[in-house]
Amino acid sequence: MENTTTEPTEPTEATRTTGETTNGGTCRVCGRTFPETRLLVLHRGVRHPSVLTDAEREAYREAYRAEEEEIRSFRLRALVVLVVLYFGFLFLYAGFAG
Amino acid sequence: MTTVPDTDRLLARTLSACLALVGVLLLARGVDASNAAVGLGDASRDPLSVPRWLYVATGGATIGASALLASFVTDRRLVRRIHRWSVTTPDRATARRVGVAAGNALGLGLLALVVYRGFAGPQIPTVNLAVVFVFAGMRAGLTMFAYLVGNAWPALNPWRAVARRLPNGFVSYPVRVGRWPAVAGLLALVWMETTTGMTKRPELLASVVLAYSVLTVVGAVVVGVGPWFRNVDPVSVFFRFYGRVAPLSWDGGTLRLTLPGMRLVGDDDASEGDAAADGVAANGAVDGPSDVAFAVLLVWELTYSGFVTTERGATVVRALVDVGLPPLAVYGGLYLLGFAAFVGAYVLAARVSASRLQTHRRARELAVQFAPPLLVIAAGYHLAHYLAFFVSLTPSLAAVLAAPLSTPANPLVLTLPSWVSAANIVFVLGGHLLAIWVAHSTAYRLFPSRMQAIRSQYPFVVVMMGYTAASLWLISLPTSPPPFLP
Repeated sequence: MENTTTEPTEPTEATRTTGETTNGGTCRVCGRTFPETRLLVLHRGVRHPSVLTDAEREAYREAYRAEEEEIRSFRLRALVVLVVLYFGFLFLYAGFAG
Repeated sequence: MTTVPDTDRLLARTLSACLALVGVLLLARGVDASNAAVGLGDASRDPLSVPRWLYVATGGATIGASALLASFVTDRRLVRRIHRWSVTTPDRATARRVGVAAGNALGLGLLALVVYRGFAGPQIPTVNLAVVFVFAGMRAGLTMFAYLVGNAWPALNPWRAVARRLPNGFVSYPVRVGRWPAVAGLLALVWMETTTGMTKRPELLASVVLAYSVLTVVGAVVVGVGPWFRNVDPVSVFFRFYGRVAPLSWDGGTLRLTLPGMRLVGDDDASEGDAAADGVAANGAVDGPSDVAFAVLLVWELTYSGFVTTERGATVVRALVDVGLPPLAVYGGLYLLGFAAFVGAYVLAARVSASRLQTHRRARELAVQFAPPLLVIAAGYHLAHYLAFFVSLTPSLAAVLAAPLSTPANPLVLTLPSWVSAANIVFVLGGHLLAIWVAHSTAYRLFPSRMQAIRSQYPFVVVMMGYTAASLWLISLPTSPPPFLP
């Protein structure tokens, strides 16, 4: 993952940090800090869509697309769990409630 | 990927171990219970034709499966549209003022009647206005109204009506005390309700109401009406918390209709540089550790009163008393330890959630943000515990209110059809399902990454599954009057 930060990394007064290192950067609009740049990029896109620069908007699109992949694989796994649950209970009921 | 700190990993393991233990214990008890039922051949007393552990596990799995299904909804705009949907009426400020004035008069009249009839009326709980009104009318009826329709208590509140007209606010309320006084107050009220027999002794109930009135009015005069009823008075906080679930609310002078439970998600008009709206107090219902404790207490008090009135609860109490403990200590110990366990499970979930995510939000903040769903759960439990009670006592309630100064000759109690117990299962599960959606919407409000939003909910969902399992198990057990109590 990306490790370079374009934002100041010092936690400011306005942030509620836990004292951890903020190597993901600080939001220049609301001052919230993030442990990963990717999260800061997503945060900017979700919370402050109208003050994005073109580069930031492109970065947000990229991060959003990358996450789409992750969500697709999550859905697949969730579906497997649901199917297992469904058939598991089907068999349990067949066995015990007969 | 960064490494998860060791302590947090340990916490997570402890949580899973505890849950596994609770699960095994519950299952063991379930098997035990069903074996006993089969052994006695007493199928008619046990309406379930599946083993109890399977029924409880199905309830837990329903919650888990619905959380997974909810996580398929990853469209932020859809999530936001659902919890922001609302309809407002034109300005109704005058109607509201008139309603509050009428409500105040009604509340004062009813308070006077409760105290008068408690002392002067027949000392029979089923026909005495004090007992029937306080428990069927307020504890059951008005509470249901508060979460199903809207909170009517601020209009009725007779103590506020009195204190408001007196000079008040001589001492400033210490802010750091939060709403802990209300938590302690509700603990005390539920304790008195369970152990002192005031549900059966109108005179005692009237004395308690009188003492409570004096305390409330004096307190409200000393620290001011606003701070007292917002932070200290357990009855007002109780109704306000339940009222947050309701679809109807006052927004200034206009009446606002939202989808049930969706006001718990809170607003996040933080699209442009509004850091405060993104912060701790953004959900509007719960803004500090004391509020989290109050929300958990609403769930716990119903679980507790459910537990002590079952045969199994009575067996546990008798066994502990046989060891040599005084009965009240047993009830008190179960009450406080159970509450501590419920709070502990919830706080642990918040810590696990905070430690497993890449976020600078602290566990304390997550605990506050994810507490509002507990109110929906409590509302579901309340409906399951009190709807049948309320409906069966409606004729008595109508009779005592129609002729408050005379004793009804022939109090009628309705017998309910057996499908009501199935409806109770629906209420418990329904409350949890709505709570899942509230948690889902909250998570989307908090986290920039959608995967984070999904993962942040897992520990809370596990705790909710535990609460559901406990509650479904309790409402399936045969009931009996608690032993050793008046």
